[in-house]
Amino acid sequence: MTRVAYFDPHPAPTVPRQSPLHHMAEIAPTGDVAVTLREHAFRDHLNLRGEPGVLASAVESVTGLALPLEPQQVVFGDGTSLQWLSPDEWLLIVPGGEGFRLQRELRKALGDAHFSIVDVSGGQTLLSLEGEEAISVLMKSTVYDVDPRHFPVGKGVTSVFAKANAIIRRVDDTRWELVVRRSFADYCLRWLLDAGEEFGIAFQRAEHEVDAREAAPAGEAEMTT
Amino acid sequence: MSELQQRRVAAGAGLGLEIDRDRPLAFTFNGKAYQGYAGDTLASALLANGVDVVNRSFKYSRPRGVVAAGAEEPNAIVQLGASEATQTPNVRATQQALYEGLTARSTNGWPDAQRDMMSLIGKVGGPFMPVGFYYKTFKAPASMWLTYEKMIRKAAGLGRAPSEGDPDIYDHVHRHCDVLVIGSGPTGLFAALTAAKSGARVILCDEQERFGGSARDSDETLDGVPAPHWVAQIVERLAAMDNVTLLVRTTANGYFDHNFVTLHERRTEHLGDSAAMTGGRRQARSRLHRVRARHVVLATGAHERPLVYAGNDVPGNLLAGAVSSWIRRQAVRPGERLVLSTTNDTAYRAALDWQAAGGEVVAIADARANPEGAMVERARAAGMRIIAGSAVIEATTDRKGHRVNGARVAAVDIAGHRIDGSIETLVCDTVASSGGYSPVVHLAAHTGVRPVWRDDILGFVPGQTVAPVKGFHPVGAAAGVYSLGMAFDAIAEHLPAALAADGIALAPSAPPQLETLAQGEAVGLYHVPHDKPTMRAPKQFVDLQNDVTAAAIELATIEGFESIEHVKRYTAMGFGTDQGKLGNINGMAIAARCLGQTIPETGTTVFRPNYTPVNFGAIVGRHCGELFDPERYTAMHQWHVEQGAAFEDVGQWKRPWYYPRQKASGERETMHEAVARECRAVREQVGVLDASTLGKIDIQGPDAREFLGRIYTNGWEKLAVGKARYGLMCKDDGMVMDDGVTTCLADNHFLMTTTTGGAAAILEWLEIWHQTEWPELEVYFTSVTDHWATMTLTGPEARNLLSELTDIDLDREAFKFMEWREGTVAGVPARIYRISFTGELSFEINVQANYAMPVWEALFAHGDQYGLTPYGTETMHVLRAEKGFIIVGQDTDGSMTPEDLGMQWCVGYNKPYPWIGKRALTRSDTRREDRKQLVGLKPLDAEVVLEEGAQIVLDPKQAIPMRMVGHVTSSYYSPTLDHGFALAVVKGGHKRLGERVYLPMADGVTHVAEVVSSIFFDPKGQRQNL
Repeated sequence: MTRVAYFDPHPAPTVPRQSPLHHMAEIAPTGDVAVTLREHAFRDHLNLRGEPGVLASAVESVTGLALPLEPQQVVFGDGTSLQWLSPDEWLLIVPGGEGFRLQRELRKALGDAHFSIVDVSGGQTLLSLEGEEAISVLMKSTVYDVDPRHFPVGKGVTSVFAKANAIIRRVDDTRWELVVRRSFADYCLRWLLDAGEEFGIAFQRAEHEVDAREAAPAGEAEMTT
Repeated sequence: MSELQQRRVAAGAGLGLEIDRDRPLAFTFNGKAYQGYAGDTLASALLANGVDVVNRSFKYSRPRGVVAAGAEEPNAIVQLGASEATQTPNVRATQQALYEGLTARSTNGWPDAQRDMMSLIGKVGGPFMPVGFYYKTFKAPASMWLTYEKMIRKAAGLGRAPSEGDPDIYDHVHRHCDVLVIGSGPTGLFAALTAAKSGARVILCDEQERFGGSARDSDETLDGVPAPHWVAQIVERLAAMDNVTLLVRTTANGYFDHNFVTLHERRTEHLGDSAAMTGGRRQARSRLHRVRARHVVLATGAHERPLVYAGNDVPGNLLAGAVSSWIRRQAVRPGERLVLSTTNDTAYRAALDWQAAGGEVVAIADARANPEGAMVERARAAGMRIIAGSAVIEATTDRKGHRVNGARVAAVDIAGHRIDGSIETLVCDTVASSGGYSPVVHLAAHTGVRPVWRDDILGFVPGQTVAPVKGFHPVGAAAGVYSLGMAFDAIAEHLPAALAADGIALAPSAPPQLETLAQGEAVGLYHVPHDKPTMRAPKQFVDLQNDVTAAAIELATIEGFESIEHVKRYTAMGFGTDQGKLGNINGMAIAARCLGQTIPETGTTVFRPNYTPVNFGAIVGRHCGELFDPERYTAMHQWHVEQGAAFEDVGQWKRPWYYPRQKASGERETMHEAVARECRAVREQVGVLDASTLGKIDIQGPDAREFLGRIYTNGWEKLAVGKARYGLMCKDDGMVMDDGVTTCLADNHFLMTTTTGGAAAILEWLEIWHQTEWPELEVYFTSVTDHWATMTLTGPEARNLLSELTDIDLDREAFKFMEWREGTVAGVPARIYRISFTGELSFEINVQANYAMPVWEALFAHGDQYGLTPYGTETMHVLRAEKGFIIVGQDTDGSMTPEDLGMQWCVGYNKPYPWIGKRALTRSDTRREDRKQLVGLKPLDAEVVLEEGAQIVLDPKQAIPMRMVGHVTSSYYSPTLDHGFALAVVKGGHKRLGERVYLPMADGVTHVAEVVSSIFFDPKGQRQNL
């Protein structure tokens, strides 16, 4: 029987695509720039749910990332990241086009166990916020305590962001990442640009990562009997 | 320019510590040009220029001058701003730093404060304006009150809001700390340093222009250096620590639960037009810091209380401490000849400073029989005349009332509240008074803890009653500890222990060394007796801002107001921008004496946030304009915008409402025309709707099917892979809460859709039931609302159009109604659901949202020959209502059961597990036959479109109030039927089909409608099965 239906949502690379922020122009202020905001669009985002004991070894063998077991942990790899979202929920972000292959391999490794993997790539986008004043911009945006004493590198939370929600995580001393919902992306970006105006804020589109779409096989449904 | 700063004294030791005489600043007040220095407040600069009258009083229009040097100032309230757009009302001149070009006006007085027309009324009417004057005079006729009120408000003055948009911005910053120290006097600085040295995260804020509080104008030494130097040293050390945030010009205005404190920082108010601009505006003219602290140290100090004596409101009556502040900070001695009236030692400093600044001290009237103490000795040694056991009972004035010209001093019998012996009149131009000190307990009171009276310090202190606020530490004068040494010791001893309980280890801190002065005991005097009875004596003001006199309070108690809260409201004591900071304790003491009770028995009124007025901009922050509320967009939003769609707000989503087109005449279609065209296109050809906003929840797990059966009212055990089913959800009370189509994607995998507005709440609902009631079920839920873009292609030509773009076999037998298929559309991997909300042949195309636009555009590229028409939510509503499809939240209101909606077909009465809401449907109330039930209404007049919400009656001739039996829930004009039609709920409606009902409207017209089936179009559902 078919237990779960999933497919590769990516068309041929010739089909144009639009990020949630495609309509927003890049901004390069003339004066000082103390914060740089980038959209890292078109990555694949997978939502993983399951007991840690069920997921841990399969996730590590397939992704090379150790499943963070401590609350509010996030681990970063080469273009990848894996974040604890709740006691049975993680967010895996990988280069665009790799999501389907990883899902297939994870499902194979996990076998009959009870878990869920959901592709949410179209529903959210990754932003990075970099620079000495990045933390000040965050302090104007979220009620969560982002002070380095309380928010070390490698921490990630889901919290209130202005009047929306966002995933907020710290990559290194001056670099932060936000994961925002597609429908709220316009609002969140406008908010960030406004909050950063006093410091000088630039908005750029990150260089598109290598498009792994061509490598992935055509759509299929997982069949287990 | 007027005379140059005639009251500024020459430089000297301890004089003008904070001004820079090399930086003169020009400013205007009431249109007249003046000059001050950097380091002045507007108040000190006005005093330096001899401006005695700065305002007119609220009720009697009496001339008023500056009284205090801080937030407690009741009179010097100004309207600030050089241009209309930058007007700021009710700024306390005592807290406004002077800047080049500052422009201010009095808030009250016409044509100005010097020559005020209203004062005629005050003078003539004064004796006839007793307490409650407005209540008593303007009470009839009641209908006129609104008119009276406008006039009274205008006459009462206070500032005005700008009439133009504010060019500047205000914002919020969220802060967290271990210790928030409010107030930077010596105790606040010591507490901050003690905490900060050990690495704790500390925020220190002070509402004044600079740190230091009382140490700014103290002549004492701390750690062997003059107090102002000590302040500078400590502040320098704190500024160098990266765990410390220093916020000056920042008022703690509200103290809320869990040590959440709002700080209002005035960032550019001291700079005026010289403030830096970015993006054409002052970046955060003021800022609200929303601080969540683990510990709050309240080091807010104390406010000096003035004495209440006759004529105490005339310019020239000052607070003793303020006199010292102006002399020592800004080298301003606001007069020539001083009489001091005091109840305590500390106020003697005013006289000593006055003399040091070259003024004449005429006498010190000390209410104590035997004044003694170090300060008293210094005054005696300086040759000052001290009149023991006496007080100033009246300040006399010139004819205009613009300045004090004498003081009447008499011996007072405090216990008997009368004067004792003869009255001496002293010639002077200034009367300074001090009736003791009131700890600033306002913030502590915000937490709900009532202040407690202490007889030993003659003041209220923060209460620590049944449930003390965790992490709250009043220190120093704010806690009633006036000895600096004792305050330091208390901090050194208690703060580390308190923080240790929270795991914050503080190293011991040695208290600063200081010289101790012998202090004489103070005496409690609030209302100075006069030679005439209070009611007949010249006015003795308690609350200067609201013109409340001792006589008014006495009269209020005579008229039966016994609760201090009632006295406050009757007399207006403690209202206004100063919230009774100066007058309230005196007023309570007077009320207590009149009522024959003690001050603690009388109690205080409740201090509420905000401590000082906060401008609306700071409260709003950046949550205004385009950032007021999130606008949620679908992947096709820009296309809708470019097509000129009108939008409708659905939750936070912007959904296309309808797409008005240009008509042949060149005009834009009306909504009615656009909707009629869109409806016809769907019924006759093909339309497309952006349905991406529908909530979508991915459900995986072996128990997914079982879970659905418990959540939905209908059955799911037999739904085959590849099939979809409409489901209805009830709350546990049996009332419909949501609906939508759920599809079986694979044996352990379902996709649930919810209403647009219900998406987040339904996901929570599923999690709550799973986590709390059925954790044994193996199932997981994940929101995919934003991941999938959804396009509803619907109409007789839908199949023909879609077949040009997809590899899926769309044959009616190969792909049946209520099934789904996977394939590609325009080359993009897609899932297509054959479900219908219009009653027409429909295909809902779902693709990963990043690829939505190429698919959407491909539909239009091929759509012309089929008449493809985009339609919005209004057309969607008309089409679904023609089919009798409900919208949860429009046709239901939380009181409708599935049976009320006639949806018994969607209820699995015999399901093995009792689904949520099942039991409630057996309650006697849900079984009533006269419940409101969903029906269709067809107006007899085809042109009538009934009003949604219109009430329904059975007998239009009955007398008002009529018996209402239901109301219209949805109503539209149907271009297909060429007839108005409606859905409605009617009591016992399911048995009334064919009956006539009546809808009496507010304009007198009564519509008549026939009760019909709620399905108006294609009752057999043939069109969706094409």
